[in-house]
Amino acid sequence: MTASDRPVALSTKALVAGYERDLPIVRGVDFAIRQGELVVVLGPNGAGKSTFVKAIAGLVPVHSGTASLGAADITSVPAHEKIRHGLAFVPQTENIFATLSIHENLLLAANILPKERRQERIAALYGMFPDLAARPSLRAGQLSGGQRQMLAVARALVVEPSVLILDEPSAGLSPKIVAEVFSTLKAINETGVTIVLVEQNVKAALAIADRAVILVEGLLRHEGPAATLADDPIVAELYLGARHVPKAAGQ
Amino acid sequence: MNPQALMDGLVTGSMIGLGAIGVTLTYSILRFANFAHGEFLAWGAYIALAVSGALGWLAPSLLAPIGPFSFGWSLPIAAIAAIALTGGLALLVDALLFGRLRAQRSTVIIMVMASFGAALTLRSLLEFIFTAKPAYYTKALQIALPLGGGLRATPDQLLSLGLAAILVVTLHVLLTRTTIGRSMRAVSENQQLAGVVGVDVRKVIRTVWLLGAGLAAVAGIMAGLLVQVRPYMGLDLLLPLFAAAILGGIGSVPGAMLAGLIVGLTEAFAVQFVGAEWRAAIAFVILVAVLLFRPQGIFGRPE
Repeated sequence: MTASDRPVALSTKALVAGYERDLPIVRGVDFAIRQGELVVVLGPNGAGKSTFVKAIAGLVPVHSGTASLGAADITSVPAHEKIRHGLAFVPQTENIFATLSIHENLLLAANILPKERRQERIAALYGMFPDLAARPSLRAGQLSGGQRQMLAVARALVVEPSVLILDEPSAGLSPKIVAEVFSTLKAINETGVTIVLVEQNVKAALAIADRAVILVEGLLRHEGPAATLADDPIVAELYLGARHVPKAAGQ
Repeated sequence: MNPQALMDGLVTGSMIGLGAIGVTLTYSILRFANFAHGEFLAWGAYIALAVSGALGWLAPSLLAPIGPFSFGWSLPIAAIAAIALTGGLALLVDALLFGRLRAQRSTVIIMVMASFGAALTLRSLLEFIFTAKPAYYTKALQIALPLGGGLRATPDQLLSLGLAAILVVTLHVLLTRTTIGRSMRAVSENQQLAGVVGVDVRKVIRTVWLLGAGLAAVAGIMAGLLVQVRPYMGLDLLLPLFAAAILGGIGSVPGAMLAGLIVGLTEAFAVQFVGAEWRAAIAFVILVAVLLFRPQGIFGRPE
């Protein structure tokens, strides 16, 4: 079965969202990702990428349109219920509980699982992230930036979500750590988890993604396979344009 | 120096500590200083008074003192009812007032002002229903027992101290070892992330109100038992409660209890060394000193 035959895992229809009612940031986005795909959401600063995924996660009010997980409409499902539908979200910053231990962070997430499965799932995650397994009682606030990202991802995976959304996991990390985080994400994707990745780090993200969509001013402007987008002049224009303009003006 | 100040301070301090735990919990999870918290103490005391009185009227044998204590079974039974009903009162105030303001994303100052309004309303209602005249759970007089070293304490006082200790340890275990405790700590650190992880924040908020108001009711009943029941008892304890919550470090249950004891002891010793008229100023001095020199409190983490 090729990717395009697989059922849609997550989709939005004419999604309009934003913190203020009269000031929508996401202005009508149709988006779909198939099961097992890894799609990166690109776009210049302020394009509404973050707002788009937060609206799906239930953290930003949706004004109109719908978000669906498989066939289920999850638009008005409260944020804390979305995880029960199989949608996990990893925010960009402050995505771990710094005052709780590593183990407590995972236990908290495992709480929605049946009792008998909790320990088994946490053990499985420790198997995947040996760094975390080494010091389960360490306060998460003492972890390095990369380890925090890993803990945030591990915590999201505890409940075996069908779709994992990450908001700029590379933010503030060194290139070496970014490479580690991204190869982990690729490995998770290869186990069958559908991943939506919001990124500023275009090159690294396109290297692991199947497909990319580009948001500009709250609208989905362009999409295509990651491999071809990497050399697409539109991508270059959107990202480098801002930098080229002052230069041109100065010449 | 009269060592009796030590016992007086510990007894007052444990009441302040129990009240301060409620303040610190609401502050860390709902993110505002609830100036109506003192009223939960007073309401707890009055509900216990009413229930205990009703029980005594229905079954006078319940009024016969238990062992060395000054009260009969009517009071412990009434205390359980008061804990539950004060918790219910806190949930009601939240549903009518604070919950609505949260839904409108009101700023902290609006919440604080609303809590002043709630405090006035709750206090006036008590005065209206029960009048301003002080009341007592029991008319029995207790002889203080010598404990050695010049210390004396009544059985009621010793019971209060023991009960406060048990409650603090239980609450500490609840917060550190149970799922709801972990959820509470998670919400206190980052409410939005807690939601993303699957924590039902509304349930956590309800739990905080029930725990805070329940402990306030216990503190109010202790104050009523050891001193007297008055509509203004909550208001009078408000400053010590906040001094203790801030000295202990916002969010820290052991901190609030320890700080409550410190405030209580300081007050008791101040009465001896400086004069009883300065008692009320002590909490204020502690509050200002902590805010100036160690705003994160004893156990708090710097912001």
